[in-house]
Amino acid sequence: MEGIVATILIGVSLGAQYALLALGFTLIFGILGVVNFAHGGFYVLGGYLAYASMAFLGTPYLIAVILAALGTAALGYLFERFLLDRLVDDHLSTLMLTLGLYLMMSSSLLAVFGPQSPAFTFPLTGVLRWHGFFIPIENLVVLVVCLVGISSVYALIYRSDFGRALRALADDRAVATAQGLRPKLLFPAAFALATGLAGLTGALVTPILSLAPHVGDPVLATSFLIVILGGLGSIGGATAAAFIVGMVEAFSAVYLGGSKGALVLFVLVLLMLVVKPSGLFGQRVRGA
Amino acid sequence: MKITRRDFAMAGAALAALGTLAGSAAAAGIQELKIGVVGVLSGPAAQWGLALKGAVEFVAAEANRDGLIKIDGAPCQVSVVAIDSKYTAEGGAAAANALAGQGVKFIIGAIGSPELTGVKPIAKRNSMLVLASSYAKDAIGPQWPLVFHVGPGPSGWADPIIKIAKQKFGMKSVVLVAPNDQGGTDIVPVEAEAYKKNGIAATEEYYQRGTTNFAPLVTRIMNEKPEAVDLASSPTGDAGILVKQLRQAGFEGPIGRLGGPGYSEISRVAGGDSVLKNFYWYEPIVVDEKAQMIADDYKKMMGADRPENNLFFQWAAGVRMVLKAIAKAGTITDTAKVAEALRSLPVTDPNIGTGHWIGQEFFGVNQELSFPFGVGLITDGQLQPITRVEAATGK
Repeated sequence: MEGIVATILIGVSLGAQYALLALGFTLIFGILGVVNFAHGGFYVLGGYLAYASMAFLGTPYLIAVILAALGTAALGYLFERFLLDRLVDDHLSTLMLTLGLYLMMSSSLLAVFGPQSPAFTFPLTGVLRWHGFFIPIENLVVLVVCLVGISSVYALIYRSDFGRALRALADDRAVATAQGLRPKLLFPAAFALATGLAGLTGALVTPILSLAPHVGDPVLATSFLIVILGGLGSIGGATAAAFIVGMVEAFSAVYLGGSKGALVLFVLVLLMLVVKPSGLFGQRVRGA
Repeated sequence: MKITRRDFAMAGAALAALGTLAGSAAAAGIQELKIGVVGVLSGPAAQWGLALKGAVEFVAAEANRDGLIKIDGAPCQVSVVAIDSKYTAEGGAAAANALAGQGVKFIIGAIGSPELTGVKPIAKRNSMLVLASSYAKDAIGPQWPLVFHVGPGPSGWADPIIKIAKQKFGMKSVVLVAPNDQGGTDIVPVEAEAYKKNGIAATEEYYQRGTTNFAPLVTRIMNEKPEAVDLASSPTGDAGILVKQLRQAGFEGPIGRLGGPGYSEISRVAGGDSVLKNFYWYEPIVVDEKAQMIADDYKKMMGADRPENNLFFQWAAGVRMVLKAIAKAGTITDTAKVAEALRSLPVTDPNIGTGHWIGQEFFGVNQELSFPFGVGLITDGQLQPITRVEAATGK
């Protein structure tokens, strides 16, 4: 019983981190119709911005996390406004642009910080133990922040005018534009929100795992897997899928081992693609 | 802009002058020996590749300074071409192909088993001499006569390290953890066998390369209740996270890493020596005063500190051996002749010490350099001096 509860705790913790990441990824696809291959890059950049703020500017961790989220959001805004926006309806071009941005980001981080992991640790250490269960305090804090982040995104998308405008654009851009909504203002803001979420996750998670220029690769792969499972563009689907992936990863790795665990996850996605190609919550395949 | 006849004449004269200069350089007999480096220069194992690249560049500079390589009495300039193989077989093959395309006949690297698997067929097809690392079971062998091993794999050093660790920590069971590709699956069974020979029950656990959060795997390991955990050939970044999460899960026993050096980065990622607590690992070279002279020379010649990972010293000694063999063979194209010269050289380095050629028993070919090596220990969070172990023999 202890083992099952411990595994559930790990699954929830993983799921919350994945959800925060996947929300940004699916937002960009849902609203702009762009598959953002630079998503992992913004995650790493968030980690390095937080690290650099603490190491070189001496800021406290909390400020460093805020700076990282704002910094990645600002870069995302500029990228969408001045590069992506011109080609937003050309899927191949946006794919190449975001992939190119990711390569530039990871290469620049490699050149500036080197390939080795710097000393970047979470300010709170220690482990809470209770009747054979344990949870590191840093994981608990990250879990709480992730849950608050997910709730905030939901509130923003479903309870604010900004969110309504974004959903209207995602639903039918032509009609939304005819109603007076301005994609040129809203698209960069949506992109900034998504990249800011990736940066926030990077600043939160890299100090409890590790920070290096390459750590964005698996993040992109996981985000992709989650949004495919949940349904491309579906916020609810991405959240549900993130927790499913977290649980499957935790249970399969604990009870089947690291190799078979990874296999279970991909088999699950494969089955989903065969049975319901649009994903758990996907409504339809988005048109051009 | 209009191009006049005069511009053409000027351009022609400039080209002619360049041609004359090049011709005079050739006439002066300056030849170029290109040494290819195939190593992982990015990702969690980049520290190993940077050590390799730094060592080759340093030894090349050293050879140029001393005028070591002469072909038919004429000086030969040594240059280095390094390519990132990304720790994959396809990366290794692509790098070897690119080097073959540039006429490179000598490859230093690869480091990991997947990379070397990609390099060897290309090297064989192009008669390239390879000095590789890799702990693969077939890293070298009679079917690869031009492939040499820069140092022994776990078959050479696992036993003495396990003996020291057992004496210090007294463990009776161990779980070995490594990636589930050739970089892990070829090493862990050899190490597991060495543990069993020393009376320590060993079980194996593998993970998908690219895993970033090891919490589920750590829970699985904790369920097995081992007295020790050995991170084998897990890259340093992964090893650091594993150590941290094992300690958070309440694991109190010793943690080993027999797959290679990288203690500094592991400690940094894990959160310091106090988190490592009781830790033992393989050091390819004991960095004593003599070895430190290589690092000092590196700083003088290259204008920077030597790469952090101690594999740097092992590679430096190995590359020196290859360049000595080239000098002895007197050729930069006939790799079979260089290989013959290399086999005949005594294993010795002015800074690292004296060793042996080994590998006959395990690989079926005596093409493995074996220098004295070290065992690193951290006990109760305190870093201990590296224990020197004489070069492995007979295997």
